[in-house]
Amino acid sequence: MSTKDETPEFGRSFRVPHTVRSLIYRAGLWGSYGVLFLILGFPVYWMAQNAFKTRLALEEAGISFLPDAASFTLENFEVVMNPTVGRYLLNSIIVSAGVVITVIVVSLVAGYGLARFQYKYKVRIARFLLVGYMFSPIVLAIPLYLIWDTLGLLNRYVGLILALSAISLPFAVWLMWKYIQTIPASMEESAWVAGAPRWRGFLDVIVPQTKPAMIANSVFAFAIAWGDFTFSYILMPDDSATTFPPGIFRLFHSSWETGWTEFMAVSLLVSMPALLFAFFLQSYLLQGFKIRAL
Amino acid sequence: MAIDTESVERSRRFLEDGFSIGRVEITSEDFWGWLTILPVVILYTIIALIPIGFAFVASLHNVPLLNPQWEFVGVENYVNVFQIDRFWGSMWRGVVFMVGSTIIQMSVGVWMALVINKITRGSRILSTLVFTSYLIPTIIVTLMFLFMLDPYDGVLHAAGIQLGLWDGFLLGNTSLSMGAVIIISSWKFSAFVTLFTLAQLQSIPDRFYEAAKVSGATTWEMFRDITLPRIYGAILVVIFLRAIFMFNKYDIIYQLTQGGPGTATQTMPILAYQETFSTGAYGMGNTIAIVMFLFLLVTGIVYLKYMNPSQEVQT
Repeated sequence: MSTKDETPEFGRSFRVPHTVRSLIYRAGLWGSYGVLFLILGFPVYWMAQNAFKTRLALEEAGISFLPDAASFTLENFEVVMNPTVGRYLLNSIIVSAGVVITVIVVSLVAGYGLARFQYKYKVRIARFLLVGYMFSPIVLAIPLYLIWDTLGLLNRYVGLILALSAISLPFAVWLMWKYIQTIPASMEESAWVAGAPRWRGFLDVIVPQTKPAMIANSVFAFAIAWGDFTFSYILMPDDSATTFPPGIFRLFHSSWETGWTEFMAVSLLVSMPALLFAFFLQSYLLQGFKIRAL
Repeated sequence: MAIDTESVERSRRFLEDGFSIGRVEITSEDFWGWLTILPVVILYTIIALIPIGFAFVASLHNVPLLNPQWEFVGVENYVNVFQIDRFWGSMWRGVVFMVGSTIIQMSVGVWMALVINKITRGSRILSTLVFTSYLIPTIIVTLMFLFMLDPYDGVLHAAGIQLGLWDGFLLGNTSLSMGAVIIISSWKFSAFVTLFTLAQLQSIPDRFYEAAKVSGATTWEMFRDITLPRIYGAILVVIFLRAIFMFNKYDIIYQLTQGGPGTATQTMPILAYQETFSTGAYGMGNTIAIVMFLFLLVTGIVYLKYMNPSQEVQT
């Protein structure tokens, strides 16, 4: 029992006046807020600030914490017009769009099946799919390299779209399954009674109601496809076929001419979708994380 | 007309009763259920199961990448892989990276979630930042930090020099680069923990706290008796996921340091990549991949068995 005296518990045995306690609590809360805000916000701010700076200003004046009118410029964004960078961006857009469409369609169908049909081994299959998260992209991409090479899928959009969709799908299916379960089955049944075939009921009753889950899924799938480095680095070895992340990585390591301001400009541009999604679709995204135990 | 109704009848019979192949009975639920999940299963087989099997077969062979003549060598690759120094070194560094970054991400992530959940004003701005750091492509994070650590124009570099924390390029420093890589990747991936925890926190009903307040509980007691038990299960799941993801992490380390300086940040995924594509030893690269996979599988099973994160509090 001596240990109890040495380490007094907070609260009951450790009487501090209420006002002091609440003051400490508030200070801790807002202090934490400030620190976290600074840690998370500063790099993003720094990227944005330098994206609008002339290269000369960065090299001459060095570090300045506030943007000023004299060094403001938009010409860094012309790097997007550069055929190489433009090509990377175009490839990224095509691949991301393909992945998002595949993921939405397949996860809707599979989620509906999991929620509405009672078939053998259902839960086991779903769990088994989630185990896919244990596979490292590098563990999969190294064997895939030769398989894709044999099938002629290296440097093809289809190859990368398939690989990235398969990575996003287990989570997307799981989310869609749980989401469709919350839609009352009677809504669909009333459509059947009115004479609609099953697929009509699915399309007209279920699909419109799964909008939040579809948004969450598409944002996550987009984030995976848009940000993926490992798969595209290995499966798209050709410089003209590659997507943005490996492309810019190679560019960064091969050229000494492109300056930091240009890299920051293109970085800002590429992270804009992330910023917009984060700001406008927060509640949908948070819904995606409500998945409980595996 | 008659033919029409008959075909409808038949299809309806099939829809309701299913069919049987030989002695295997397949109900219609089974048939349609399996049909809906078939695309996922096929994709999953092509992208995950076949490559794992292929990697296993390749790991038993000696395969020069540029001249794919497979030469069967049995377990020789496995014997070799355990003997090379860089294997054990990279295993150790992988574990350091995994444990270090998981600890940092868990503490920062849970802290951040608690702050966002409790704050009354400005929580939307902070959570936007959290989501941004989660959704932003890794390469952007890398470029951002490489810029801030740049020896000529970098703001963090200048700050570190001023404070005497390091001299020269931080990521070129053999003893500090691992720490730097851990911290930079935590900047991005703490957000995952935050979002997961935040979703759990928001599902705790307010009435619990109201009841506690009425009976005179302090903030700490409310945290200990209501919040903590509720998020405990989620935290166990997140530790599991984070540890696996971080051990497997390839992109951010490679982008920041490419395993260097020397081998200071060469974790196992980096080693596997370099063996395959720099050395051109495709068989050996797959051997390392398989060893990684088995290591995670065993660790994962042990963790799930002893921590049992799927048993958690329900609302």
